[in-house]
Amino acid sequence: MKAFQRNLQKLEAADTQVLGVSMDSPFANKAFADSISVTFPLLSDWGGDITRQYGVYHDKYKAARRINFLIGKDGTILEEQLDNAAIDPTKIVDACERKKLNR
Amino acid sequence: MQRKAVASVVTVGLMVAGILSPPVLQQLRAESNPPAPMKLKVGDQAPDFKLQYFDGKGLKDVSLSDYRGKKNVVLAFYVFAFTGG
Repeated sequence: MKAFQRNLQKLEAADTQVLGVSMDSPFANKAFADSISVTFPLLSDWGGDITRQYGVYHDKYKAARRINFLIGKDGTILEEQLDNAAIDPTKIVDACERKKLNR
Repeated sequence: MQRKAVASVVTVGLMVAGILSPPVLQQLRAESNPPAPMKLKVGDQAPDFKLQYFDGKGLKDVSLSDYRGKKNVVLAFYVFAFTGG
């Protein structure tokens, strides 16, 4: 999440909204956001319905896997990054900026 | 003496072969691979959702459809609050 925060200006300049999602409560997420100075919303998927719908529920952790989806303005998935690769947002930032240039 | 050395090499060889027999190898391979293939693929339609976050004053609703035609969205799923990544 911190890495996305560092790249937030670039992403916003490329018309991209960042949303974190976890199965924590909204209040735990707010405290987490404050503690790491994240300014984009951290959404709460209580019960994990959306996490399961997106196929990222991890049975062993009883939680989401670390996964990023880049979703275009038309609602289609443009990029996916899984697990360790998902911690570095460079690829997503590049994809957004490329899209901006191609528009 | 030499015969004994050969015997022990063979024994060690057999032990290694036993350890690396197919079921064990399969298990090793399964553990080093990512758990499951992704349900949603690049090019698929992202399912709409409505989730909430707390902005310090109240709970706010956010839907994926809010951004349709306006912005790209990065959905960053993470394991738990207060963990790395």
